[in-house]
Amino acid sequence: MSTATLVLLLVLVGGLTYLYRYAMIGLFASRSLPAWLHALCRHIAPASFAALTASALFVAGSEVHFAFDTPRPWAALVAVLVAWRTRKVLATIVAGMAALHLFKLLF
Amino acid sequence: MARTATSARAEFLAGCRDEAPLLLGAVPFGMIYGIAALSAGIPAWLAQLASAVVFAGAAQLVIVQMLAAGAGFVPIALTSGLLNLRHVLYSASMAEYVRHLPRRWRLLLAYLLTDEAYAVAVLHYQRREPAPTAPAGSSGSGGGRDTASAASAEPGPKAASIASVAPAGDADTPAHEDLRHWYFLGAGFTLWAGWQLATAAGLLFGATIPAEWELDFAVPLTFIALLTLLLRERAGQAAALVAGLGALAFAALPYKLGLVAAILLGLAAGAWTVRRLERAR
Repeated sequence: MSTATLVLLLVLVGGLTYLYRYAMIGLFASRSLPAWLHALCRHIAPASFAALTASALFVAGSEVHFAFDTPRPWAALVAVLVAWRTRKVLATIVAGMAALHLFKLLF
Repeated sequence: MARTATSARAEFLAGCRDEAPLLLGAVPFGMIYGIAALSAGIPAWLAQLASAVVFAGAAQLVIVQMLAAGAGFVPIALTSGLLNLRHVLYSASMAEYVRHLPRRWRLLLAYLLTDEAYAVAVLHYQRREPAPTAPAGSSGSGGGRDTASAASAEPGPKAASIASVAPAGDADTPAHEDLRHWYFLGAGFTLWAGWQLATAAGLLFGATIPAEWELDFAVPLTFIALLTLLLRERAGQAAALVAGLGALAFAALPYKLGLVAAILLGLAAGAWTVRRLERAR
């Protein structure tokens, strides 16, 4: 993506995000929020993060590749376990990075 | 007048102070964003500018991750646009507290309405003067629904006359003058400044560290950590599972459009699970 396209993309996303933020305190301050929007918003974050994680781990280019002979999926597994047990974001990232470099020595 | 200015400053500083602990969580994200942006090939000046223009951590990480994976304009815009939709909820939740403010205040506070600033500011509003419409103890995460119903009173601009900004200070200041928007401003500004500095630190740091450190991997690790925190209930788990599988099933779609399809399918799965659970009850 060219730099000019990237600028356009960032301005678009930024503008949209600002509209979201201003929507109910400015643009539609006298309206109430539709219930469907509430229901929709609840699952956007888990769905997005899951799709991006799966893609980052198992998609190379446009092909699915379960690369269990490389360190990253195993480091991700360690991160999942740490996240599940500790529920701490920083501990998860640190443990995942540490596991990645440990596995790099082993593989 | 002087008294008002003093307490406005006190509110502002209290907002800064209460937001500060949240920087511990936000600063590492900002640094990871800066580092990952460089390794995704984004020029440093543009990565820094994005922190000011987009000013939404999760979306910025998503943009960087998708760029690194070779995604196109439309999928990135759709995914990050969808992910940021939750800010409408924060906006609705804040509406009853800031509706009386002049437009310039609302334009400014809207810009500062991030996850972290919302969490701190809404607690302050609820703590000091529990709104009659909001059930006691309703926490930051889902406070929008109850408050939204109250948003049908008077439209904002008309009510601007009771705005609590300083200039009305000749006679005695009303005892209950609401200066809590200064607290909101303090909290929002603190996070904003922290985010910009964290981005800059990540960009400086990222330029010096070797690629073998694979710090770009911190981005999916961040998603894993956040995802694990979010997976409290069945419907969310269903949404995540279907979206994750969908990302693999649609991997061949061009420009990473498969990610958008996977997320939409995940949302449908979440909605379907909610309905099924309601029917089973």
